[in-house]
Amino acid sequence: MTTEPAPERVQRTASDLSQALDILATVSQDFALLAALDDTLRHALQRVMDYMNAEAASIFLLDSSGRELGCPVCLGPVDVSHVRIQRGQGIVGRAVSTGRVQLVRDVRLDPDFDSSPDHQTGFITRSILCAPLQIKDNILGALEVINKKGGDGLFDPDDRSLLRALAAMTALAIHNGRMAAALVEQERMQRELELAREIQGRLLPAAAGGDFPVHGFNLPVSEVSGDFFEHFALADGRVWFGVGDVSGKGMNAALLMAKTISLFRCLGKSESSPGRLLGVLNRELLETSYRGMFVTMAAGLYDPDSDRVVLANAGHQPPLLRDSGGAYRELEAEDPPLGILEGAEFGESAFALDGAGLYLFTDGLTEARLPAGPLGVEGVRQAIDALAGLPPPDRVAALGASLDAAGARRHDDVTVMLLERPAPGPWRLLLDQEFPAATAALADIRNALRVACREAGCPPQAEEQLLLAVNEACMNVIQHGYRFAPGQTLRLQLVERGPGLVVRVLDRAPPVSDSELRPRDLDQLRPGGLGVHFMREVMDGVSCLAPPPGYGNLLEMTKRWK
Amino acid sequence: MEVTISESGPFKVVALRGEVDLHTSPGARSAILDSLRSGRPVLVDLSAVAYMDSSGVASLVEGFQQARKSSLEFGLAAVSPPAMNVLRLARLDKVFPIHASVAARLGDRP
Repeated sequence: MTTEPAPERVQRTASDLSQALDILATVSQDFALLAALDDTLRHALQRVMDYMNAEAASIFLLDSSGRELGCPVCLGPVDVSHVRIQRGQGIVGRAVSTGRVQLVRDVRLDPDFDSSPDHQTGFITRSILCAPLQIKDNILGALEVINKKGGDGLFDPDDRSLLRALAAMTALAIHNGRMAAALVEQERMQRELELAREIQGRLLPAAAGGDFPVHGFNLPVSEVSGDFFEHFALADGRVWFGVGDVSGKGMNAALLMAKTISLFRCLGKSESSPGRLLGVLNRELLETSYRGMFVTMAAGLYDPDSDRVVLANAGHQPPLLRDSGGAYRELEAEDPPLGILEGAEFGESAFALDGAGLYLFTDGLTEARLPAGPLGVEGVRQAIDALAGLPPPDRVAALGASLDAAGARRHDDVTVMLLERPAPGPWRLLLDQEFPAATAALADIRNALRVACREAGCPPQAEEQLLLAVNEACMNVIQHGYRFAPGQTLRLQLVERGPGLVVRVLDRAPPVSDSELRPRDLDQLRPGGLGVHFMREVMDGVSCLAPPPGYGNLLEMTKRWK
Repeated sequence: MEVTISESGPFKVVALRGEVDLHTSPGARSAILDSLRSGRPVLVDLSAVAYMDSSGVASLVEGFQQARKSSLEFGLAAVSPPAMNVLRLARLDKVFPIHASVAARLGDRP
């Protein structure tokens, strides 16, 4: 007699287990398939309620403060979605604060049971089973089922185990759903930043042709920049130019940059005094100044007919004027930044450009960190000197690129602008290429030079001589600079300038002094050491210059023809 | 660059063809020095040299010096214009015996 119920019991447990596994599989599939978290939860809760054979079910989740529980989903005859529960209050609160499943077979015997909803709705709560929703130690909320249908209407310990498993899965789904939502939000923000960057890029002027006197670039340190540069020609041929730096970084700086650059362009069309223009810009920015943000800006007007520059400077990094002989003058700023001082006036300085280059830049350039320390104004001068042989647009671009070549860490946006009267005659970069510093690359180097020489209309004899000299220079780099070390490179630049060519050989080998480039005495008959003699013999000029940041040596050679 | 070694009369003839630069000149150098080690006089045929740099010149100088030590004749034959330009630059055009061709040198000999 006693054996009869046992198989039945075992059978029921097996069936329970298979049913439980079944529901777990279905619920986890739901979580995987449904995108919206609330829909998923409702769907899952329906299955939980059906399987647990409960009259009502609800999910409670802690708010962001972690002190109060709200009910995003509930099922059953009574809508409790408006209910707010304090952490630790009632049976749900107890599940959350203890992290343990609460099985209340008969609510009348539980002092924590809050009967007020029953009084308001007429629903009669008899038994409650409530499991915490938990990812490791992090409690998200609770899963509650009320009143078991049929039987005595009370939940039993088997129900407790099953709900615990279901709650674990639900918690995981909520966690994943929240992560997915955060990811979507992050991606949306990223897209918006990219869009902002694109729009901001379009606010900056497009690259100008070689015959335009102003060239510039902007390298943002993050998605958007607080720096800007602008240049545009008026109908009479005069050219406005300006470089600015908005205090702070990020989106707010980018928005103020957008405003300033737009105002500058607009005001420049009717104003012909840089000082007055900065005065108006200052007033406009003050009218809508925000949290003490300000703008430093240097702006000027260049007249190509008279070759005169008028420059005003609102607290910006002093521009550098490099004359045709290579001497520098720093143009100090006397006036305050824009957006700080009511009624500020901005002085002007006027001078003839006279073959000089006027360099305007932001402190992101001088503060760029090279392995040896910040670049500084002195470093900027050296870099400009090293790049002086390049045509203005390429020189400006190379200033930016040389920072990266030097392994500089940039903490701030970098903006550089150059005002320089276009030189008479051709001045263009024909070749700028990195080659392996290896003997096997010499033939490639000569071939690249041949192509470039022909593009410049170089006479055959000059081409042969140039090839010989460059080949010797590259040999020196490979043999004496790198001592045949593998994996090294050299950079070759060929510039067409006037009726002639300038070739620049850059390497990262230890520095070689100009005196080491003296040709040897030819009367001594011995192999080797002829290279420097060849170079000096066939070229019109050979000199070792201070290299730009990131390079060890710069050899510049000139070949002219009639 | 290609190197071919042949014999013509008493001479070993080392013919260089193509571009003689730092990458290829070690081949030219060893061909010249190997030929001299055979104890025969050497002519270097430069008719097909399209380009020569200072390392190519150095290989010729080394051969010239080695030949003098061994009291062997060493000369250049049919020097192409690019090679001649480089020899002139190195002021070696008067130092090396230069023959119009290998045949011209052989004709010198009775």
